Amino acid sequence: MSGRLNLDSKAREWLDLGLNFSTSVTDLKQINADNAFANPLQLVALAPITPVRDTNGILYDRPTTTYYNTLRHVEYSHRKMNEYRNIANGYMNIKLYEGLQWRNELGYDLYTLKENQKLGELTNDGQNGGFGMSNYGQTQNFVTKSLLNYNGKFNEISIAAVAGTELQYVTIDRTWVTGERFPMDAFITLNSAGSITEGKQTVEKYAMLSYIGRVNADYQEKLLLSISGRIDGSSRFGKNNRYGFFPAASLGYVLTKEEGLKDNPVISFLKPRVSYGKTGNAEIGNYEHLGTFGVATYNNNAGLIPYNISNPDLSWETTDQINAGLDYGFLNNRINGEIDYYVKKTKDLLWRVPVPGVSGHSTMMKNVASVENKGFEFIINTINLTGLIKWNTTINFSYNKNKVTDLAGAEIYDPGSSRFMNVFMVGQPMGVFYGAEFAGVDPTNGDALWYVNGPNGVDSLGNRLTTNQFDQANFVVLGSPMPDKIFSITNSFEFTINGTTIDFSFMFQGVHGNKIHLAGDSYMAASGEWFDNQLRSQLDSWRPDNPNTNVPQARLFYANGTEGRNSRYLEDGSYIKLRNVTFGITLPKSLLSQAKIDRMRLFVTGQNLLTFTKYTGWDPEVSSDFVVSNLRSGVEFYSAPQPRTVIFGINLSF
Amino acid sequence: MKTLKYILLTTIAVFTLASCDQYLDQDPYQEILEERALNSDRGVKMVLLGAYSTMNDQNFYGGLVQTMSELLAGDGEIQFVGTYNGLRQIFAKSTLISSNENARATWLKAYELINICNNVLSAVDIVLPADRGRVEGEARFLRAAAYFELIRLYGNRPYIAGNTSNNEPEWGVPLVLTPTRIISDANKVPRATIQEVYDQIIVDLKEAAAKLPSTNGYFATKGAAQAMLARVYLQMQDYPNARDYADTVIQSNKYSLVPVYANVFNQNEKTTEDIFVNKFTTQTRFSAMTEYWSIPDYGGRDGDIDILNGHLNLYPAGDARRALFFHDNIAWRSGKWNNQYGTVVTIRLAEMYLIRAECNQRLGTSVGDTPLNDINRLCARAGLGDTFYATITLDDILLQRRLELAHEGHKLHDIKRLQLPVGPRPYDHPKLTLPIPEREIQAYLPVILKQNDGY
Repeated sequence: MSGRLNLDSKAREWLDLGLNFSTSVTDLKQINADNAFANPLQLVALAPITPVRDTNGILYDRPTTTYYNTLRHVEYSHRKMNEYRNIANGYMNIKLYEGLQWRNELGYDLYTLKENQKLGELTNDGQNGGFGMSNYGQTQNFVTKSLLNYNGKFNEISIAAVAGTELQYVTIDRTWVTGERFPMDAFITLNSAGSITEGKQTVEKYAMLSYIGRVNADYQEKLLLSISGRIDGSSRFGKNNRYGFFPAASLGYVLTKEEGLKDNPVISFLKPRVSYGKTGNAEIGNYEHLGTFGVATYNNNAGLIPYNISNPDLSWETTDQINAGLDYGFLNNRINGEIDYYVKKTKDLLWRVPVPGVSGHSTMMKNVASVENKGFEFIINTINLTGLIKWNTTINFSYNKNKVTDLAGAEIYDPGSSRFMNVFMVGQPMGVFYGAEFAGVDPTNGDALWYVNGPNGVDSLGNRLTTNQFDQANFVVLGSPMPDKIFSITNSFEFTINGTTIDFSFMFQGVHGNKIHLAGDSYMAASGEWFDNQLRSQLDSWRPDNPNTNVPQARLFYANGTEGRNSRYLEDGSYIKLRNVTFGITLPKSLLSQAKIDRMRLFVTGQNLLTFTKYTGWDPEVSSDFVVSNLRSGVEFYSAPQPRTVIFGINLSF
Repeated sequence: MKTLKYILLTTIAVFTLASCDQYLDQDPYQEILEERALNSDRGVKMVLLGAYSTMNDQNFYGGLVQTMSELLAGDGEIQFVGTYNGLRQIFAKSTLISSNENARATWLKAYELINICNNVLSAVDIVLPADRGRVEGEARFLRAAAYFELIRLYGNRPYIAGNTSNNEPEWGVPLVLTPTRIISDANKVPRATIQEVYDQIIVDLKEAAAKLPSTNGYFATKGAAQAMLARVYLQMQDYPNARDYADTVIQSNKYSLVPVYANVFNQNEKTTEDIFVNKFTTQTRFSAMTEYWSIPDYGGRDGDIDILNGHLNLYPAGDARRALFFHDNIAWRSGKWNNQYGTVVTIRLAEMYLIRAECNQRLGTSVGDTPLNDINRLCARAGLGDTFYATITLDDILLQRRLELAHEGHKLHDIKRLQLPVGPRPYDHPKLTLPIPEREIQAYLPVILKQNDGY
């Protein structure tokens, strides 16, 4: 639910004043995070023959159910989450001279999150007489801007220029309480908790100060030039290195305004363009450049421990991007679009570098590492039919190659997990999968086999060696979690008859080139190692009467091919989805004018309706929430698939 | 009109050009700048308390150190059936590799503890003179405990008295005795020899024993340092010193055995028998021993560790220690760790009797009391009657040690000093030692940190 109010006033001939308010309240319904036993998808692990309720109607739990019964979280808990957003903006625009204006803005953005949860005694976390949690968070974002705007024309050159400063100041408050031992499940506020088990309050602040300048000039609306620069200072960096300078420039040439192409019947628009820009990133914690001690408690007393190692040189991560492109239009722009080629180089990546643990610290925030992204994008819009039935098509295609180019001198950064295989490796995409290569199953005994790879990976005849010992197999690059191709195609139709307009559109969207790590398969396709409910593929496991298969022999409580870091659990993540289908009817004006309605359209939209993919998991688009980061992407672990949605609506205007 | 305009313009100009960059100086609220942590008596004492919190962490004395020792040496007596990959590898040993997350967690936590102790010791002169000895003693005790666990779990060989392996270069762990202020190549300290690490442990514990008070609440005491010395000397097979320190602790009369065996464990406060314990509270963290060894009814995980008949059959009939195990309709479980926020014992008096008895037996002495009496004392407490043994052999003593201290984190270390096998593996098998964490080898590059033989 949201509302908005805009007030604009011309107080004087030279003075414009304005005030905008907007406010919204959102009610959120969340499910548990992927890695909790209370995640609803975890229910797949229970045997299908598990009884649901006992004779008293109470949901069964362990040991009748193999794992915690998530349905208990649904029936025996309350959770209420609300978000409140209030934004107020005021501006004052003063006309100084002809073409020169001075605009001052003041903005205040207040975001509040309120979350209350009560888990009953029958839930896994509520076994100590219930569990209650109350979380209150507030972010205040205060922005002030002062900008000089100039617009002028000299002969055939138009100039628009901006110069000014901006200050952003953010305060984040958080209060959080948990409690246990409630008299009965019916009590849901923490007032009734017999024992308050955790209470915390935190405050954090950060600020950014910017100086900006930009000049846009065009000659006869044909040659377009833009030059800009900004100096940004962030409180997150060391005193020596707070400010970064970020220039940008672009040049475009509308060829079709030239005499030669002006009246060309085929080419209606042609604009080659080239640009360069430097941007900065400061998205780290608020105090990471300082050497600090934090608080640790023991026996209800608080003490101090070293918290962060200082880095006074900590500074901006920067990305240089060069872009060359062409905007085109043919046949009176009936066919139009854009082609772009770009190279983006990011350096001084802000990253928690591992340091020797014997120092007492395990990481340090530093500017290290470089990453490169190169690719091209291609868009084409076509107006196919314009008569009784209108038909437009838009096709979008992009190709991107991501590569780590430097890791502070190291070849690889591997956090050493036995479950997840994403690493940073020089020459490979970020988060590339690195693990053992599955070589199938030994037909004589059902052992899972791995390719040895590495320097001794082939025998004297050049045949690849295999082993049934997982730690004898050298890790190799197995695939990338990032697709290199992303594309979509949208078709829209419009058909008017007797004043009624029917519109229909559908969009297919897809990606290609990525792999997904089904980390949950370590438990679901576990060859007998776990007591979870198994995927049907396990029925094809090796048996003496079924020797030629890729599914290792099932061995009770024994790890036969089920180690986390191997290619057996990697699948092609490419897909095409029917992302959106919309069907709408706009009623004829004749019908509406009696009710004083300008326009009325009824519509129905379906989202995520169909998926075409070879991926055998639930949804190829989902990344597990508790691991996703720069490093770990493309990992599936009992992640809830995206829902299919159908929306019915009415557009009305008076 | 124009006046209004000029007033407005000037006001805005003043606001805009006023120094806004003071906003860019932000100091944290939940942390404190390091200069302010150690420049006062109170600050140093707060950092010392932080050391206890770190020691109490689940990845150190909070449970992982003890559990890894039991799992590595647990073949035939216990079985790990939980979902934690890291602990599965440790129990299986054949699949234990250098990327193991538990080996990494304990290594990092032990060195965090060492760094905090180094911080305290570097600033101990700021402490008020009356408290200076105690503060220094506590920091040394904790640092010695950290190095003792590190060398026993990550040393390339067990310590064998008189063996040249003790002096083999780079077979111990890196010795860091100064606090870290900046990160540089100076942090890439090479591994010391096993003997050098034990020598440092002894030096720290002896200083601690000299300076610590006899009572100190839940914090380190003279008795705790002496008891730890007994344990360390036993590990080094220095029986005279082990016996004498164990005897000193017993003769201090500060500790007494809890009459009912079951009441030694699952307590909210320390008992008369506890020489040094870990205290848990709902405000700090819950015990990892409960998480790994207990069942959901008591706040544990899913019953991750089964106790097998290979262990249960060792107890004589009527033994109260056997009665503490319970069956949860799936398997037998240890009953020592059912209090999620209860204390976890590090050293208790029963161990001192066992050390004194074993050393007296080996040396043919009776310092303090005869081995027969010491063992019968423990058996009587276990409900086996006042004279369970008529005569006693070394094997009897070692069996009673195994039964009395079962699943408290001693198994691996006893295996190594007694040179007993674990299943098919001899006591010095490379897989009975944890790997130096792979992340550490990587972080040291280009300096080469030597990895243990099995990895």
